[in-house]
Amino acid sequence: MVELGINLPLLIAYLVTFVILVAILYQFAYKPLMAAMDQRTERIQEGLSAAERAREDAASSQAAIEEQLNEARREGQRLLDQAREASQRFRETEMERARQEAEAFAERARADIQRERDAALEELRASFGDLAITAAERVIRRSLDRQAHEELITQVLEEGESLRRG
Amino acid sequence: MPSGAAAKRVMLLAGLVMVALLIAGFVVGAIGSQMFGTTRFLAQPAIHLPPQPVFPFSAVKTSLGYGSDYDAKKEKAEATADSEHPPAAEAGDHGDGAEEEHHFTPLGVSEFAITNTLLSAWVASLVIILFFVLGARKKAMVPGRFQSLVESIFEGVLSFGSSVLGRDMARRTFPVVATIFFFVLFNAWIALFLVPLYQAVGFGSGGLWDFKLEAHLIRPAGTDVNMPLALALISFVFVEYWGIRTLGLGYFRKFFAFGNLLRGRPSGLIDIFVGILELISELVRIVSFTFRLFGNMTAGEILVVMITFLVPFVANIFVFGLELLVGLIQAVIFAGLTLVFLSLAVHHEEH
Repeated sequence: MVELGINLPLLIAYLVTFVILVAILYQFAYKPLMAAMDQRTERIQEGLSAAERAREDAASSQAAIEEQLNEARREGQRLLDQAREASQRFRETEMERARQEAEAFAERARADIQRERDAALEELRASFGDLAITAAERVIRRSLDRQAHEELITQVLEEGESLRRG
Repeated sequence: MPSGAAAKRVMLLAGLVMVALLIAGFVVGAIGSQMFGTTRFLAQPAIHLPPQPVFPFSAVKTSLGYGSDYDAKKEKAEATADSEHPPAAEAGDHGDGAEEEHHFTPLGVSEFAITNTLLSAWVASLVIILFFVLGARKKAMVPGRFQSLVESIFEGVLSFGSSVLGRDMARRTFPVVATIFFFVLFNAWIALFLVPLYQAVGFGSGGLWDFKLEAHLIRPAGTDVNMPLALALISFVFVEYWGIRTLGLGYFRKFFAFGNLLRGRPSGLIDIFVGILELISELVRIVSFTFRLFGNMTAGEILVVMITFLVPFVANIFVFGLELLVGLIQAVIFAGLTLVFLSLAVHHEEH
């Protein structure tokens, strides 16, 4: 025993040294280190979950933005269609009105022309009748019943006119 | 920072110096001095298993066998390897000290003196405390280099414990298991890092040139059988404590298995036999713990001393690398076996 070096007080001294070492390390090293590690783990956990949350938020807001964009696009498309339709309608009505105006104008012009022609024809007929009467008087040297003659001439003229129109 | 060619030159120079020191060490070492007849650089080392007292001086005197007339002041002949001017008186007074055949008397079983191993255990404990307290002092969220070193060592030990015991038990038993680990590790390494102090400082006889170191001031505590024994006892008590704490008195059922015999089954005899075996193996653990660590540390110590004696100077580098590894392995084994025995004691019910 002695040759090996076994010594009771030394054994006790080592035991005491070890116990004191455990106590000091526990108080000043293990406890704070453990706490720091736990705290760090907690912080990292928090950070990770915060990042996860942020990622989810970003994803959802991304979806919302996407939705809004789609909405806006649809709205824009709708407005564009509306405007196109309105302009189409406007163009059609305008064109219709223009055509109507043009037609009315043409109608009026035609009526004017008709009237002018009628007037001219009337005038021509009148003067032609007179002329014919005068000519006939001169030809046949006799005065005919003026009333009968005019009727006769008008009849002739109308026949002529209906022939021309037909 | 030397770069490129400069670094290469430095490396080459260092290598040459190493080779030169190796050759010089061989020539003046024990082997070379026999071959070439050169003067030996170191005296033949004496290997003592028991630790040597360093305080108080009366104990040193008794253990080294100096007479009572020996002056305590002269006795403390401290010298470092490069110390060039010790007190001149000392050199003259001890001229005949070297011739005396000193036989070392170990301490009796109940005698107390502070030995070199105990002193070195205290130094190691101080280093451990400094290391951890400095590492744990600043609690920065983003640790600096030293703090992250300490924390990663801490976490490494904790996760080692968790892998054996599970997280909860590992955290509760951590203080003792981790302290066992660090105590063994630092005690094994302290002699390697304090090597000039260890190899050359102590009590001895002789003058400056023929100084004979007879008691080192610092000697790794693992080479003192009391330290492994103390750790083994602590480990044992700790394991038994946790066994009783978790399983209550049922913990003792595995040692004194009378259950089946009392119920009249003959297989109860086997249970009793197994229980006795369990009891013996439980107690033998103390012995195996003690002598595993003691043997490894002592063998390493003797190896270092012998290589230094045979080939002084740099040949020890390889042994040092080996000893660093041995220290780490012994620390892992001591702490790891404690963990394993803990888990056996705690989970016994499940078998």
